[in-house]
Amino acid sequence: MTRKIVIEPVTRVEGHGKVTIHLDDKGNVAQARFHVTQVRGFEKFCEGRLFWEMPLITARICGICPVSHHLASAKAGDVILGVKLTPTAEMLRRLIHMAQIVQSHSLHFFHLASPDFLFGMDADPAKRNIMGIIAEMPELAQKGVRIRAFGQKIIEMLGDKRVHPDAAIPGGMNKALAPDRRDEILSQVDDIITDCQFAVDLIKNYCSENREMADSFANLTTGYLGLVDGNGNVEYYDGKLRLKNSQGIILEDDIAPESYLSIIEEKVEDWSYLKFPYYKKLGYPGGIYRVGPLGRLNVADGCTTPLANKEFTEFKQLNSNGIVTGSLYFHHARMIEMLNCAEEIKALVQNKLICSKEIWVNSNKINEEGIGVIEAPRGTLIHHYWVDASGKIRKVNLIVATGHNNLAMNRAVYEVAREFIKDGKVTEGILNRVEVAIRCYDPCLSCSTHALGQMPLEITICESDGSVRQVLRS
Amino acid sequence: MRTLVLGIGNPILGDDGVGFHIAQELARKIKDENIDVKDTSIDGLNLLELIVGYDNVIIIDAIMTQDGEIGEIYRLRPENFAKTVHSTTSPHNANLATAIEIGKKCLVGQMPAKIVVFAVSIREVTRVTEEMTGKVREAVPGAVNLILEELAST
Repeated sequence: MTRKIVIEPVTRVEGHGKVTIHLDDKGNVAQARFHVTQVRGFEKFCEGRLFWEMPLITARICGICPVSHHLASAKAGDVILGVKLTPTAEMLRRLIHMAQIVQSHSLHFFHLASPDFLFGMDADPAKRNIMGIIAEMPELAQKGVRIRAFGQKIIEMLGDKRVHPDAAIPGGMNKALAPDRRDEILSQVDDIITDCQFAVDLIKNYCSENREMADSFANLTTGYLGLVDGNGNVEYYDGKLRLKNSQGIILEDDIAPESYLSIIEEKVEDWSYLKFPYYKKLGYPGGIYRVGPLGRLNVADGCTTPLANKEFTEFKQLNSNGIVTGSLYFHHARMIEMLNCAEEIKALVQNKLICSKEIWVNSNKINEEGIGVIEAPRGTLIHHYWVDASGKIRKVNLIVATGHNNLAMNRAVYEVAREFIKDGKVTEGILNRVEVAIRCYDPCLSCSTHALGQMPLEITICESDGSVRQVLRS
Repeated sequence: MRTLVLGIGNPILGDDGVGFHIAQELARKIKDENIDVKDTSIDGLNLLELIVGYDNVIIIDAIMTQDGEIGEIYRLRPENFAKTVHSTTSPHNANLATAIEIGKKCLVGQMPAKIVVFAVSIREVTRVTEEMTGKVREAVPGAVNLILEELAST
């Protein structure tokens, strides 16, 4: 215990945040790859377990958004049971889901993304981080902490004392919302909505003041995928899938989540553990699409709540065809969604049924297949289970948001690399730019591991013969 | 004085779950109304809400170091992680040390006066399993005792 140990640098997961850039013989970018390490053996681990256990098991997959996996899993379980939730159970699921999105979006925006644009992408990394924000803009950092804590608190309220989400079960929810807890949420929500509006204005003004850069930075031509409700509004919990192309033309609409395989296929590449989903009809890699805040806002016709809808309408006007393509606009879209979810939380807790104790329905039925789809903070999340007659899992397929965006993140890194590496000359600032491009997608890389230590981004630049020319580390 | 013993780790990710298992063991042994024993698989900034309001916090986690032997137990203070307070490098989340720093600045007066980290050295964290490897599993009783001693001395 007295031996000196070296803590830095520590990489918990091999390959964490690794980028490889291959040059051609003229020294220009031939290919850029963003490597994601995924945990192995999850499917095997689940086989033979009862589907009842899955919401708890899958919540452990991700240390960042456990609620999303928890809910997608419970939804797949609802389908296996063949039940329709009580109105209160569905509202409580929506409430915890909205809380997760508020929590996750605010964490990402205030603590991870805002330093990039408040200090500028070329600012010294020693300052361009959350500690820099706290030092120079303490009020902003406080707002971030407050909004996130609000979301986290709701998640905890609906759980059963345990830190990990256990609120949802196939057929409904475990625990009702106590009236005093509802009142507590209600007493805070207006302030949170005001803070969310502040965040929207901040990023909106930034994008407008830096219009040229925001429009051109990692601007990709892709399709977009997300859930919409019956009126075409942005929907996070339970809607139909819609897919649009980069011109705003609807390619697929009203696709029931259980039919996702009719529009999506997955490609395996030998250099990445994470599969590459693509739009079936356009093939691979032409069927590239994006999910998450930008995907959802691009496919939808509106937002369900007044303040968010006003922002949504303005956002849509950024481009004449209503499709916003620059990767930095992910942040703008993310903040509109945070506002939308905060307003939704208010509407949910004002509903007189929210504290009802009718929160669970059972059935004796066991369907052989169950598919649960929700919009996680980072995008469309699909849980697909096959079970035997006793309800034991035979097979599992998960498509996570970072998977849907896998092709796009690789393309974004490629676009940025191409701009910064020309004729064998690597321009300073490439590391920051690649980092910022990846961060727009808010990728979930760790999938269950948590870090004691630093997780550096590493960029390896290879010559056309495969030899390593340069390694850049942040 | 209120104390939190918080095991961090993922029990379905083999050795990564060592903090979780140690906390479960401690929960069986500790019967003191001033000490809460919890476990979690969430990380980074999300840990903030869990630790605020306590006077004394003991965090138990797995750690990967350059030269650590598997199963070794370290007693560390947040200062030991000072070099890792740097959130921009992570494309996704802030680490524990950053979370503590943010808490000190943004949640003034609510952060624990004392935070101690007990970390068990591990190597492999990418295979989904409930089983820990031999040396990490064998480290659990030793870590439990060290933490009980720590609690007795505070």
